[in-house]
Amino acid sequence: MRAILLLLFLGFAVAPLCWIIVTSLKNTKEIYTFPLLYFPSQPTLESYHRLFSFAKFGLYFRNSLVVSVLAAAGALIVSLVGGFGLSRYTAERGKRLILLGLYFTQMVPGFLLMVPLFNMLSALRLTDSLWVLAAVYGMMVAFGTIMAKSFFDRIPPSIEEAALIDGCSTLQALFRVILPVTLPGIVAIFSFSFVNIWNELFLAVMLLSSESNVVVPVALNSFISKAGVSWDVLSAGIVVSLLPTIIVFSVGQKFIIAGLTEGSVKG
Amino acid sequence: MSQMLRVDEGKAGVDHGRRVWNGFGRPIGRNTVFLWMLVPVFVLLGLRIYVPVLQGIVLAFRQYNMLNLSNTGFNGLANFSAVILDVHVSFLRILLNTFVWVAASLVFQFVLGFTLALLIRSPFPGRGLYASFVFYAWSLSGFAIGLIWAWLFNGQFGVANDVLLRAGLIERPIGFLSDPRFAMMSVIVANVWYGVPFFAIMLLAALQSVPRELYESAEVEGAGQVRQLFSITIPYVMPTIVSTLLLRTMWIMNFPDIIYGMTSGGPVNTTTILAIQMINKIFQEYDYGQGSAIGVIIMGILFIYAFFYLKVSARWEVRL
Repeated sequence: MRAILLLLFLGFAVAPLCWIIVTSLKNTKEIYTFPLLYFPSQPTLESYHRLFSFAKFGLYFRNSLVVSVLAAAGALIVSLVGGFGLSRYTAERGKRLILLGLYFTQMVPGFLLMVPLFNMLSALRLTDSLWVLAAVYGMMVAFGTIMAKSFFDRIPPSIEEAALIDGCSTLQALFRVILPVTLPGIVAIFSFSFVNIWNELFLAVMLLSSESNVVVPVALNSFISKAGVSWDVLSAGIVVSLLPTIIVFSVGQKFIIAGLTEGSVKG
Repeated sequence: MSQMLRVDEGKAGVDHGRRVWNGFGRPIGRNTVFLWMLVPVFVLLGLRIYVPVLQGIVLAFRQYNMLNLSNTGFNGLANFSAVILDVHVSFLRILLNTFVWVAASLVFQFVLGFTLALLIRSPFPGRGLYASFVFYAWSLSGFAIGLIWAWLFNGQFGVANDVLLRAGLIERPIGFLSDPRFAMMSVIVANVWYGVPFFAIMLLAALQSVPRELYESAEVEGAGQVRQLFSITIPYVMPTIVSTLLLRTMWIMNFPDIIYGMTSGGPVNTTTILAIQMINKIFQEYDYGQGSAIGVIIMGILFIYAFFYLKVSARWEVRL
């Protein structure tokens, strides 16, 4: 009974992805035949070839990668410093206020912020830049700070006390002594930010306009509105777009799960 | 809340005794140093969230259409009344859609996620690998998931139709995304697929913290599996269930990505939820004032919801 249920869940989870991969390996004609072919008669990488030659998907992929890595790394550093401070800060009322401020950010609908952000950035002539987009993404540090705090909570302060006695400054103690112990937390916070940033669509649509600045979600979005992009190429695009987050997830899975549950269950 | 706000007494004692020196030869407390470490966090959040959210609220009370910027003065509640009395889409319909979308997604995500967590709670060979295959959907983009399911539910070449036809359950293909009777169900299926892993991950961690002795003594008393589930397991993980449901409600309500990828709110607005209507206002009508008004409405609903939810669930010691 248990085995059957486990298999059902497995099937439900992997079937959609498998079907998109199968679709991406078919040629255009076989996609539009009915009844469906469950295996392509001649598997081909043609759609991937078209994706990278006509659609310049390589460039979009590189843009997304640069933005996501930069933003996630920036958010990580700020979250680690802030989370450490929050974990060690001892004034109870202040601490509650700070946490309230952090949790409030999780309630605000992201779309309410988009127009004001756009207006601010265009007043400063800072729109349509991948660097600015990365900076805007990197500013989402609330959840990372909460996650970092809960990781530091589990490390006894006596460790950095010892470092301070040896003559380190607080920041030195953080980076030389504490961080090596917190590696799982670092992986979790980075992966979590990376996944969220890589997947973000609407802000990117709003802030970017030129062809050379397209990121992956924006490219997929323009595929569906563009006539002439068929489902084999679109499927290939989807498969490629999912790869980075799947890789990040499978590498950091253990830590992400620990981070998610620590971050929001215990706060 | 209580747990996260607990402060280690012994640590505090040490802190008061120790002083560090800033560059000006004046001693400052350790706590001040820790507070300064939070300054970057709040400067960034201020620029990214606190200031924009205030501006967004102000915008909701101004006439602000990008196609007609000649007059951007305050117009009172005109944006709200324009949204609520919209002749093209009934606002009541949108509210109802939003409710169905949130409630149905939540119920199925929770029931399936909890079942999955119970199934993989005790170890079996290859559990780690199994977990990565059932949990990976959590890391995918909502928009891409929308596209994937749009293809699975395609009215002509969708695999869902093919399977049902071959099984003899239907006689001709169903337009899952073009038929108003099936569209909402289809987007909810996709959202459930996406959300099950999150619930399973959160609940699995909580399940593993249930002390074994509780079950042992229950077995001694002769309580069966079902009894144990309802009298030990569920009460024990209740705080996690309550806080996860609250968190998810907020996210699902603010999450138009899947619907946007599948139906964009159609057919005839049967899948238009508040967040989709907001996107339409901003990206199609360029009416930022009305878009912001919808944002304020969403935020208002969420605040009221969270307030009552936390009041009602206070007895389960929710730790947010």
